[in-house]
Amino acid sequence: MKRTLSYMAMPLLMAAAFTTQARADGETIAVFTKNQTNPFFQTVRVGADNMAKTLNAKTLQYIPTKPDSIPEQLSQIEDVVVKKPSAIVFTPVDYKAMVPGVEKINEAKIPVVNITDRSAGGKFLSFVGADDYSLGLETARFLLKTLGGKGNIVIIEGVKGSLTNVDRVRGFNDALKEAPGAKLLASQPGNYQRLQALQVMENLMQSNSQIDGVLAANDAMAVGAIEALDGANRKAQVIGINGTKEAIDAIKSGKLLASGDYNGFAQGCLGTMMAIRSLRNQPVISEIVLKPTVITKDNYQPFDVPLEQRTCPTFEDAGKLSAK
Amino acid sequence: MTDITKDAIAPPRSFLSQDAIQLFYRLLAALLICAVLAVLSDSFLSLGNILNVLRQASLTFFIASGLTLVVLTAGLDLSVGANVALSACIAGTVIHKTGSPALGILTGLACGGIVGLLNGIMVTALRIPSFIATYGMLWVLNGLTYWYMAGETLHGFPAGFRQIGSGYLFGLPIPVYLLLVFLGIGTFFAQRTIWGQEIYAIGANPVAARLSGIPVARRLLLVYAVSGTMAGLASIIFLSRLNSAEADIGESLTLPAIAAVLIGGTSLFGGVGTVFGTFIGALILTLVLNGMNLLSVSANWQPLVTGVIVILAVWLDMKTRRRAQ
Repeated sequence: MKRTLSYMAMPLLMAAAFTTQARADGETIAVFTKNQTNPFFQTVRVGADNMAKTLNAKTLQYIPTKPDSIPEQLSQIEDVVVKKPSAIVFTPVDYKAMVPGVEKINEAKIPVVNITDRSAGGKFLSFVGADDYSLGLETARFLLKTLGGKGNIVIIEGVKGSLTNVDRVRGFNDALKEAPGAKLLASQPGNYQRLQALQVMENLMQSNSQIDGVLAANDAMAVGAIEALDGANRKAQVIGINGTKEAIDAIKSGKLLASGDYNGFAQGCLGTMMAIRSLRNQPVISEIVLKPTVITKDNYQPFDVPLEQRTCPTFEDAGKLSAK
Repeated sequence: MTDITKDAIAPPRSFLSQDAIQLFYRLLAALLICAVLAVLSDSFLSLGNILNVLRQASLTFFIASGLTLVVLTAGLDLSVGANVALSACIAGTVIHKTGSPALGILTGLACGGIVGLLNGIMVTALRIPSFIATYGMLWVLNGLTYWYMAGETLHGFPAGFRQIGSGYLFGLPIPVYLLLVFLGIGTFFAQRTIWGQEIYAIGANPVAARLSGIPVARRLLLVYAVSGTMAGLASIIFLSRLNSAEADIGESLTLPAIAAVLIGGTSLFGGVGTVFGTFIGALILTLVLNGMNLLSVSANWQPLVTGVIVILAVWLDMKTRRRAQ
């Protein structure tokens, strides 16, 4: 924590040394996201664009055409190092494999902010992200609270070995340990795919006559599980993660109990904000770990707004949004 | 000349002898897996679970059945999964915009068929090897679908339309009826029609096929168009079963379909194989996943088990085939 504080202090000191309004606007920020398929990254991109517009800067979006492709993101980094944008907002497609890419950015002396997935190496002026573990923990706690701390539970896991899945499932399991009345029937892989989750759920219903709760590691799988339950005329409380539009609709109609969200929109906003602020020699927060929100039928309204109409948090809000 | 012709047309006739033995082994393998699962899990042999397995196998089968014809001609269609994704997204939009499931179904089938036809044109007119042509098509389709969907998801379709994928008729899931119908049509077409026999002949020896007067290019065009149209059908089943479409559904569909064709005993070198074998292949893949879910096999081990079963199935096939020869 001490180290975090000293990182935080440095830009503050720098800001004190210079005047706050140092450079002209019109910077170009290169925004790297993992894929075009996960709606989560769409919210990140819209957030980044929104903030850039507010601060009079431009964004350039870099997205691998093949989802989460390591070689493709590496070659995009090579392109960007040649093009030299003012700063980079970076989500690694793989937190370990992309370290050499980050080092290339560092060598080129382009300031870079890390968002969403924490890179295993490289130098960043700030990290804005969320914690998958607490996302899993809080959503599972909410499910268990709804079920009165007991019942038969099924976990549908994402892609085995992916960072997000490991942490989310660990969170699920730790919440289950807090509820001795609950029984974990099975923890099976759905690979973040709707169809696979549907089939897993159909299979599990064959061998388990009573399933009370389903913890899915993303919304697509949660909705797949609900389709399977509906098809068999059975009921269970289902939880998803990501806060997608589809999940919000399902929460509104009472089919989905809740979805965990770590606000990709705010991640895009704040990552871009930190990048631009550092270019303008304004203070930067070196680490923002956003608190997870459990979206339920009681609090879905702010999430039920088209992305284009949402507003970015201010710098003052940023401090408050952080879990630490 | 006459000898070449005879050679070229010969493989389908041998279906009754050697291919019958191959099919028997394959059925045996499927039954063996069933027997093991029945011993290990009480719920495996329940009627509910059997229907469950058949319905799950049907989606893979629809894609793999058209693909079987392509592989019979010694070609490959790597774009089937991406085709399903694009067709599903476009068909879904049409249903949303017009409110007409019939129009959506037609659009989905047409979209799949047109993509297949384009594959066929690349393979015949431009003479691009099918592996490359359809690999390129895979990227084109992915690009189009990602751009078109822009990270959004389509969901919520009329109840009537949902019946196709999720409904029952006389206690049987509707996809299972479709499975039986297309299994029948596919088998009849491949084994009992001139066109079907010509497809085997093209795969066995394209030069001999051309010399014996078979319009090779037209048959290849047909085969790719059928494969694409079956992907279009799969997209409709997907839409109505899952009540939604998103851009990345294709990725997890292509390889299981190819695996089903190969486990089913269709040779990548062309000329050998059956649509029924592909059905068994799809069934074996589904049974393995179903069994692992019922037995709560850890998520860590599932890919490994699937891989070993696929390798074992193909190895056993090669072994019995060699012995038969």
